[in-house]
Amino acid sequence: MLLQQLVNGVMLGSTYALIAIGYTLVFGVLHLVHLAHGEVFMIGAFIGLYVVLWTGAGVIPALIGALLGTALLGMLIELVAFRPIRARGGHFLAPMISTIGVGIVLQEVTTRLFGGELVGFPHRLEPVTFRLGPVAVTSVQLLILGVALVLMVTLHLFVARTRLGMAMRATAESLLTARLLGINTSRIILLTFAIASGLGGVAGVLVGLSFNAISPFMGVDMGVKGLAIMLIGGLGNIHGAMVGGMILGVIEVLSVAYLASSYRDAFAFAMMIAILLFRPQGLFGSAQSVEARV
Amino acid sequence: MPQRSLCLVLTLACALALAAPAAAEIKIGVLLPISGKASQYGITQEVGLRMAEAELEKLKIKGEAVKLIVYDTRGDNAEAINLTRKLIHSDKVLLVLGPFFSAECEVAFPIANQGKTPIVTAAAAKPGIAAKNRPYAFRMALTSDKMNGPLVDKWQAANKGQIKKVVILTDNKDAFTKADGTQVFPAVLKAKGIEVLDNISFQTGDIDFSAQVTKVKGLNPDGVVVVGLYNEGGNVVRELRKQGLQQPTIGALGMSEAKFIEIAGPAGEGVMVVNPFWADNPDPKVAAWVAEYKKSGKTPNNAASLIYDSLFITKQCIEKGGVTNQPDDLAKDRDKLKDCWTAVKGYPGITGNIAINADGDAVLEPFVLVVKNGRFELVR
Repeated sequence: MLLQQLVNGVMLGSTYALIAIGYTLVFGVLHLVHLAHGEVFMIGAFIGLYVVLWTGAGVIPALIGALLGTALLGMLIELVAFRPIRARGGHFLAPMISTIGVGIVLQEVTTRLFGGELVGFPHRLEPVTFRLGPVAVTSVQLLILGVALVLMVTLHLFVARTRLGMAMRATAESLLTARLLGINTSRIILLTFAIASGLGGVAGVLVGLSFNAISPFMGVDMGVKGLAIMLIGGLGNIHGAMVGGMILGVIEVLSVAYLASSYRDAFAFAMMIAILLFRPQGLFGSAQSVEARV
Repeated sequence: MPQRSLCLVLTLACALALAAPAAAEIKIGVLLPISGKASQYGITQEVGLRMAEAELEKLKIKGEAVKLIVYDTRGDNAEAINLTRKLIHSDKVLLVLGPFFSAECEVAFPIANQGKTPIVTAAAAKPGIAAKNRPYAFRMALTSDKMNGPLVDKWQAANKGQIKKVVILTDNKDAFTKADGTQVFPAVLKAKGIEVLDNISFQTGDIDFSAQVTKVKGLNPDGVVVVGLYNEGGNVVRELRKQGLQQPTIGALGMSEAKFIEIAGPAGEGVMVVNPFWADNPDPKVAAWVAEYKKSGKTPNNAASLIYDSLFITKQCIEKGGVTNQPDDLAKDRDKLKDCWTAVKGYPGITGNIAINADGDAVLEPFVLVVKNGRFELVR
């Protein structure tokens, strides 16, 4: 019983982590809370769904379609809703508010196009269930866990070891200095948006497959949770996002299992406040600053 | 330009010709959730409403045109209050059809009662909402306490009386499912000698049900009762089968819709539900109506057939109840309609034979259905 509950929690947690990593990346580099990330995730799920419905393809093309589609969308968001504000030197909160607007627009457009009804992937893509003694997990759940872990490691290596990653870190450190050193910071920011959004899109397809619940509103709850995890894990820290996701997932599942489902979110967010009271910088954040630690 | 002036004269004449009978049209108010998160419910019902409207356009009521004044409540209680007031006091309708949800009815019914205007919901299923607002409030839907009994009986019979302990999974965010899962089902099960091991909650909008289902697994019941709406209900059943729970399962009223089968997929096979309307009913009258409805690209449910029937009961009441539809007689006409609705008995509708009882609730025959090969089949 408890073992299955813990597995449930870890699986839910890796789903959350997948979304939180996107937030973390944008925050780490730009110090911007990208509040439309939940909606980008939702668009990814819809792109994946329609790739499957129109071409009759399987999971892999759906993932690739969502990855490319949302990467493009991410760049578009940067060019339309973020860059012009930065260029004109708006208030530091202005880009964040602008991303809220983008989120609402995306949600409304999707509702108009596809309706507000919950939809799922065709049942031929139903994940296979594995039973290991008393514990049941599905292929998609394992895939989500795998993708989240692989992403965590590759993103870390990318940012720490490659020249592009170094440019990203330099941009995160100081936009002006990076530019003086000859880094095309505009391109780095665009790239960051593309990577973070592409990952969000992939997460959307995986969540759609796992929970069978794609709707224009699916990004709202997930978005808030991704944000909370980013705070728990330490702003801008990718390992933190992973661990934070797991913690939130396990806490939620245990509170449903031993209390009641009504306490699910209340308990999870109370925990977040508690963690922030004792470690305002988050579990993995450093005390000196909240610079990119990706 | 003689042609143009002729045109103008004609248009004017037409406008006048139209304006004259417009004074004598029969006005009926309708409240539906057409936008917002719950819009799907309202849209399904609206198709049924528009079918009735199209037919009434030809039939007319006592030779007068019927004008439906349709407002969108967005499923919002405050909107339901304001729009009910508007329909009664400024639009001066004879009767209000709606609102859709039980929570909306709880606030809109008292207003109609004060305004002495008959109000008929064709959906809300929470017990007691019309009874609290006599004599003007009516509910053209079967309350869950009258459906769950037959459902449990047929379920027990299908499992040869082997269901002794069950677990209930209740969506306690929705007003209807909460009452159904925490009061109606426990009472029905107790009366039938079935023990309820636990009542586990989930919330409308949840997508992860793994923790709840693992808890059910630990209790090892003989059967599972899922009290949810079709989205969450479908995914709860999916999670049950995923974690290897093959126990016989029944679902609440909200799950007796085509959309439930779509969401649950193969996991939904064998789940039993209950509904006063059965879309695959071979009865030629129902089949013809369903075929007409399906031209909209949707599958009808009880809310669609009940609003259709409500409008035609209202038509019959206007014709036989002595309604004059003169502006001065508005209060009298509303009273006559109320009296006629109170006495509805044996009306042959799409939703079977309809009667209204002393609580203002419709008496309908419930169909117990089972999911088989991706459709609902009647359990005999």
